[in-house]
Amino acid sequence: MIRFEKVVKTYPGQSHTALDQVSVDIEKGEFVFLVGQSGSGKSTFLRLILREYRPTSGKVHVAGKEINRLASWKVPRLRRQIGTVFQDFRLLQNKTVAENVGFALQVIGKSRSHIRTAVPEALDLVGLGDKADRLPDELSGGEQQRVAIARAFVNKPMILIADEPTGNLDPTSSSEIMKLLDRINRTGTTVVMATHDAGIVNEMRKRVIELEHGRVVRDEASGIYGNQN
Amino acid sequence: MQLRYVFTELGQGLRRNLTMHVAVVLTLFVSLTLVGLGLLLNSQTDKAEKYFGSQLTVQVWMCNGAQEEGAGCLGPVSDAERQAIIDRVDGNDEVAEWHEESQQVAYDKAKELLGDNFRVSSPEGLHASVWITLKDARNYETVVSSVQTLPGVYSITTPKAILDPLYSTINALKYGAYGVGAFLVLAALLLVGNTIRLAAFARRREIGIMRLVGASRLYISLPFLLEAVVTAIFGVALAGGALTAFWWFGIHEKVRESLQFMPWVDHLDVLSAIGWIAILGPVLTVIPTLVLTRKYLKV
Repeated sequence: MIRFEKVVKTYPGQSHTALDQVSVDIEKGEFVFLVGQSGSGKSTFLRLILREYRPTSGKVHVAGKEINRLASWKVPRLRRQIGTVFQDFRLLQNKTVAENVGFALQVIGKSRSHIRTAVPEALDLVGLGDKADRLPDELSGGEQQRVAIARAFVNKPMILIADEPTGNLDPTSSSEIMKLLDRINRTGTTVVMATHDAGIVNEMRKRVIELEHGRVVRDEASGIYGNQN
Repeated sequence: MQLRYVFTELGQGLRRNLTMHVAVVLTLFVSLTLVGLGLLLNSQTDKAEKYFGSQLTVQVWMCNGAQEEGAGCLGPVSDAERQAIIDRVDGNDEVAEWHEESQQVAYDKAKELLGDNFRVSSPEGLHASVWITLKDARNYETVVSSVQTLPGVYSITTPKAILDPLYSTINALKYGAYGVGAFLVLAALLLVGNTIRLAAFARRREIGIMRLVGASRLYISLPFLLEAVVTAIFGVALAGGALTAFWWFGIHEKVRESLQFMPWVDHLDVLSAIGWIAILGPVLTVIPTLVLTRKYLKV
C-alpha cells in the first residue's frame, strides 16, 4: 500500500537531510505508529505519502502509484484515497459538524444525494450522529477530533494518515480517538499515525517505526514506544 | 461539479473583498476607457486621412524666368522640360489624377479671386503649374522626390503644412491616451494580484482542506476566476458606457454638428472599440488570476 525505497528528502536551503535512505513497506490494512522526536522526519514522511513534496531521491509508492512520476493534475485523485487527521483538527468554524464532513465530499464533486447518506453514516461511526447541527466551537476537543476523523473517513479512503491526532487531547479523549482509529483500521483501511504518546503506543501493540535524524532506527511488528529512560 | 458551492463562494468572495473589487473595477473602468478613446482616435485619424487624402493636392510650380528665382531655374521652363515633368507625374503610381494650369489660367483665377487687390500686371509674372491629386496624401514624398530635381521646376507645394499639425495633434492625443491607459492597466494588474492574495489568505483554511481531500485545482481556483470575470464585466460595462456617452454627447451631438465638412467616428467605430476593450478587460483580470492561483493554490 505504501512503499518507501531508499528515500532521501532534503529541503532547499537546509544542510541536513529530513529523511535519509528510508526504506519502509506498509501493507494494506496495517496499523503503523511513526515515532521519534520532533524534527526526526515524521511529518516529512507523512507529507511524502500525500505528495505534498517529491522525494529528493528514491521512490515512494502510494496505493499502487509511484508519486515521483505522478503528474500534478493527478495528485487530487491520489489524495481522494487518503484521509488526513491533524493535531489541530482543522475544522471550518463557520460550518456545522455535518457541513464540515460534507465539505470534503462536496469539493470533490460528489452528488448531494450521496452526501446526504454518507455524512450521517460517517457521523454515526464516530458517535456524533446527534451533534450534526452543532458548530465546532460548541464541541469538546475530543469531539472536534472525531469530526475531523469523520471528514477524513467519509470518502472511504484506503489510507488514513494521522499526525499527532491526540496531541491536544486529554487521556480519556485520546483513548476514544484510538478506539475509533482501531475500528477504522479493522474495516481494512491502512492507518499511519505519527505520535509522541508513549502510553498509546504501548497499549496498542501495533507496528512501530522509529525515526531519528531522518533514519529508520527501529521497525518492530508489535512494538512499544521505545527506551523510556 | 457542484456549481452551487462555486457560486456561494463567489458571492462570499465578492462581498468579503468588496472595497478591493471596487478598486479593481474603477481602475479597469478608467484604463479601458482610455484605451477605448485611443482606439476611437485611431479610427478618427483614418477617417480624417481618407477625407483629406482626396482633398489635398501637390502642386508643382514651373519656372517663369523671373529674376528672383532659385538655382533650379535658368530661365522660363521650356516645352521639353515641361513635357518631362508631365511625363514623370503621369508615370507615378501614387498619382490618382493631375491637371495642368497655364500662367494665363492662374492669372485669370487670381484676378477673379482678388479683384482690385491683385497687382501682378501680366500672366508672365505667375507660374504655370501641375496640380496632382494623390491616391494617399501621406505618400506625397515619393512624388516630390521624383520631380523636384527636374530642370524647370521652381518649387513644390505639399500637403505637409496641413497634414503634419493635424496628425501630430491626433497622434499626441492617441498616444497620450494609450500611455496613461498603460499605467492604469499596470495598476489594475497589481490590484488584481493583491486582491487574489487577500482572497487566498482569507480562504486559506478552506483551501488547505480542499487540497487535502483532493479537490481539483480547477475547482479550487474557480471562485477566483469567476471573481475576475465578474470584476472585468463591471469594468468593461462602465468603460463601454463612458465611451458611448463620450461619442454621443461629445461627437455625435456636438462636434459633428458644428464641423460637418469632416467625417467623424460613427456608432460602428464605437462598437468596435467596445469590442476590443471587452476582450482586453477579462484578459487583464483572468490572466493574472490564472498565474497567481497557480502560485498561491499549488496542490
